[in-house]
Amino acid sequence: MSSSPMTRRRFLIRMTNLGAGAITLMLSIPAIGFLLSPLWQKRQLSWVRVGAIDSVPVGLPTPFVVSMPIGEGPPTPNVDRIVYVVKSDNGVLRILSNTCTHMQCNVHWDPSLGQFLCPCHGGLYDITGANIGGPPPSPLPQWVHRTLVDPATGQTVLEVQNQFDESI
Amino acid sequence: MIRFLTRPFSSRLRAGYRWIDERTGSTELVHKGLYEAVPEKGGWAYTLGSATLVLILLQLFTGIFLLLDYTPSFSQGYDSLKFLQDSDHFGAWVRGMHLWGAYVLILVIGLHMLRTFFSASYKRPRELNWVSGAILFLLVMGLAISGAMLPMDQAAYWTMVVVTNIPHYIPFIGDGIRNLWRGSGDFVGQTSLTRTFAIHIWVLPFLLFSFIAAHLYLLRRHGEFGSWVNYPTESEDPEKELGERIAHAEPPYPTRRVERRWAVPRRTVDFFPNQLFKDTVISVLLIAVIFVFGFVVGAPLSEPANPATLSYVPTPEWFFLPLDQVLVLAPGTYLIFAVAIVVLFVALLCMVLLPFLDRSPERSPLRRPEVLLPGLFLTALLILLTVLGSNRLFNL
Amino acid sequence: MHLLAGTPPLQPIPTSGVGGSVAVGIVAIVHVLIATFITGSSFLICVSEGISIARNDERHERLAHSLLKGVAYVFGFGSALAIFWVLFVLLGMWGTFFIALTRITFWPFIFEAGLFLTEITLLYTLYANWERLRAYRRARFGLSILLAVALWWQMFFIDVVASYMLTPNGGDTNQLAQVLNPTDLPLTIHRTVGNVAWAGAILAAVSAFRYMRAKRRERDVRVDDVPSPRSVGAMAATWFTDADGAVAAHGAAASNVAYFDWAGTWGAVWAIALTMFQPWIGYSYAKEIQLHAYPAWYRMMFGDLSTVFLLQIFLLGVIFLLGALFFWRRMRASGTRGTRTQVLMLAVLVLATILAAMPARFTWTLPDAISAGANRPFWDGGLTNPIGTMVPNKIIALLAMMICGLISVTSLVRAHSRGELRWGDATRRSQWLLVALGVTVSLMMAVMGVIREHSRQPYLISGEMTIQGQTILNAPAGQGQSVSSPSNP
Repeated sequence: MSSSPMTRRRFLIRMTNLGAGAITLMLSIPAIGFLLSPLWQKRQLSWVRVGAIDSVPVGLPTPFVVSMPIGEGPPTPNVDRIVYVVKSDNGVLRILSNTCTHMQCNVHWDPSLGQFLCPCHGGLYDITGANIGGPPPSPLPQWVHRTLVDPATGQTVLEVQNQFDESI
Repeated sequence: MIRFLTRPFSSRLRAGYRWIDERTGSTELVHKGLYEAVPEKGGWAYTLGSATLVLILLQLFTGIFLLLDYTPSFSQGYDSLKFLQDSDHFGAWVRGMHLWGAYVLILVIGLHMLRTFFSASYKRPRELNWVSGAILFLLVMGLAISGAMLPMDQAAYWTMVVVTNIPHYIPFIGDGIRNLWRGSGDFVGQTSLTRTFAIHIWVLPFLLFSFIAAHLYLLRRHGEFGSWVNYPTESEDPEKELGERIAHAEPPYPTRRVERRWAVPRRTVDFFPNQLFKDTVISVLLIAVIFVFGFVVGAPLSEPANPATLSYVPTPEWFFLPLDQVLVLAPGTYLIFAVAIVVLFVALLCMVLLPFLDRSPERSPLRRPEVLLPGLFLTALLILLTVLGSNRLFNL
Repeated sequence: MHLLAGTPPLQPIPTSGVGGSVAVGIVAIVHVLIATFITGSSFLICVSEGISIARNDERHERLAHSLLKGVAYVFGFGSALAIFWVLFVLLGMWGTFFIALTRITFWPFIFEAGLFLTEITLLYTLYANWERLRAYRRARFGLSILLAVALWWQMFFIDVVASYMLTPNGGDTNQLAQVLNPTDLPLTIHRTVGNVAWAGAILAAVSAFRYMRAKRRERDVRVDDVPSPRSVGAMAATWFTDADGAVAAHGAAASNVAYFDWAGTWGAVWAIALTMFQPWIGYSYAKEIQLHAYPAWYRMMFGDLSTVFLLQIFLLGVIFLLGALFFWRRMRASGTRGTRTQVLMLAVLVLATILAAMPARFTWTLPDAISAGANRPFWDGGLTNPIGTMVPNKIIALLAMMICGLISVTSLVRAHSRGELRWGDATRRSQWLLVALGVTVSLMMAVMGVIREHSRQPYLISGEMTIQGQTILNAPAGQGQSVSSPSNP
């Protein structure tokens, strides 16, 4: 190839290829950048108040509806999420999310079964959130949370951040 | 001018048509399209392909009307369709036709695939026809599932959550793919809907029509194969009979790069009016079904999407039931990855690359059991999983 | 209603613990084996007859006829047994339960009884007129389809009742809710597929015996079996037809040999091919039981029935093993290609069966292991065996069984489509494999029956009615379900 002389024809072809390559490059850099953008997306974290949790009975997971900002991507309205407050007999407080670790359907506490049930594929979790039946591969994640004492009423107030303590 | 205006109407029509034909070559184009030879026997079975095309065009047609009303918004999407259901009966009818059109399309494309599978129409030189067809099937399924996510009622929202979560089980890149689709990390939000909408009305239809063009071009180039019943030899000297058939073949036959005995069907007819008539009958029937069901049953719209529901039981669309049932049956991370991702991917790959797996020259299904039995098994398994999955539609 | 008033009600035939259970068990299992054979065979009759019409093939017609005759022979005994079952077991020993059940699942019982009448008519019409209808093949085919449809629908309705006992859907007596109870559909599909597999296995086993007998006759005909003459003239005639007569008899025996070899293989193919789907169906079924009758599920998986359940998965592996073994020996006998594939499948199946049959713990139940403080792997000093866990090991074993079964069946059918299988080549040893297949499948069905009935105990209707006393628990106030309550007029 390099030995044969450069003709007008070969020059034209080579320049066309170069042009096509340039167009491809100029198109693919933004596109690939866009495709890879989730890799360095960071969620904007914020604390959301859930409410007073003193009246939550022991041994009965109680759901609270919380309006939560998504914090990633373009600015969008908040979505409602569920926060399950679980107080066990030994005093351990768990703030479970109700997002099933299988396919992210909403899990709910079923008193007749004494377990959390996911209606999508029959996943079962016990009161501590451990996955004990069905397809879910891991326990229910907890919300990143903190409790404060409200100075005005003296009640324990729960706040959650818009992220789980582990990625599911 | 006065002469033109005072001529009889039919003559004016003829002159008008001649004007267009001189500039566009339409007569030649139409003749080329209509007077192609197709095999005579089994014509009713071969209508499924054109039925698929008609149904896709119907989806395009009804989809345009929905596009005029629907807002791809988390809050507005449901309301825009609710308005359609409650106040605009014709709009609701169009939406019903779009849904039932999708259901019938999936059924018909499945039957079309089965037919071409049985008749071995994917063998040399028509391998790429099958490959483009298999890709079309995947695109149609993609369109169906992305469309199901748009109405923003409970069913649509939870379909979006579950389906966009499937890539999570792909190691390394899975979460990235999920976030790319959802646009908002772990949560499903407005961006997810925007992207799904874009996929449904532009990305996939663009790919769809490109592949349809390729599929139809390849079909015309090699001619409709038909099936093994179109190629028997009756005389005592089959070689001579084949030679005569090849010599007297009408275009597009004899098919090039194929064994002699499969080069020309025993008897062919013109596409127009014979096959076109059969195609029309089937299309009329299917569109009539969609017409009636779209009105009488319509498209359901459950409550507005509520991410904080504790009582709603998400139920998948019927065509998604097999995969959903596999998700029920495969517990644990590695099994889900193995069965729902790897096995599914390998199965789909085998489906797309079938002509390269089955390269024997045998066209009768009874003589290629190594292809027929696994194919029957997978089809039966699909139907079985759909039926098993439908149990949850009535219970729980 | 005065016989039912009073608590607890007395049954006409008092159940005496073990004796009663054993009697019930034997009657039930025999009934199920016969009923499922009849239902499964009806499908095979249709398929065989259909193929014989399409291809104008004589041996498919002979098979359809033989299956029909088999069905007719057992139908009488099976029906009598069913009536015995209804009268003495259901009404006699479990009277309160049966009457309560009939009040709840009234319409399914009515439809089932109506279909039973239809089947009797169709079956005996077909049986008596098989030859006469030879001129009207399609009408005969239509009758056999009707018979299969009637049998399937009867099974469907009895499944409504049987599944209702296991998962009563909250005791809701809405008619549709009974039919749509969570385990009805999986049970029906499970039985639909299993019936045909079972019928195929029985066909294989019976054909195996007939084959061995025909092979013996074929051998003997050549030497001994010459028709004896009755007159001098006939004797003179035999000087000329002697060889022909022997040849004819030999020919008949030879064609019998080919026929039974083919029929046995045909049955085995159906048995293995349909069993391939059962793991998916069975798992779905168990999932519904887990969600809607948790105590029963726990008993099967972790409780005192878990060892019996282990036996079942072992038998499943044995079924696939016997199938692959038979296909291998059959292909080898005819010298076909592809025997290496069969050997490979056999090796993988052995490993899969061992993996599947591995116990998950070395105690009888999981609570035993927990109470002994030994809920740890045995290499850690405990009594559990993580290799035997359902997830993912047994599931992998089941998938392997299914794939190997598919490859094994395909390999045999491929040899047949290449014309490499000569009917009549099968060895006698390979026929014993078919007999073993029939025995294994029947054993498996009996084991499943045992598991099914015992897992639900002490309830006859899960959560609603126990065997002892047969009073209805949880009866909503004011709703006329409490049969034994004296306040209910």
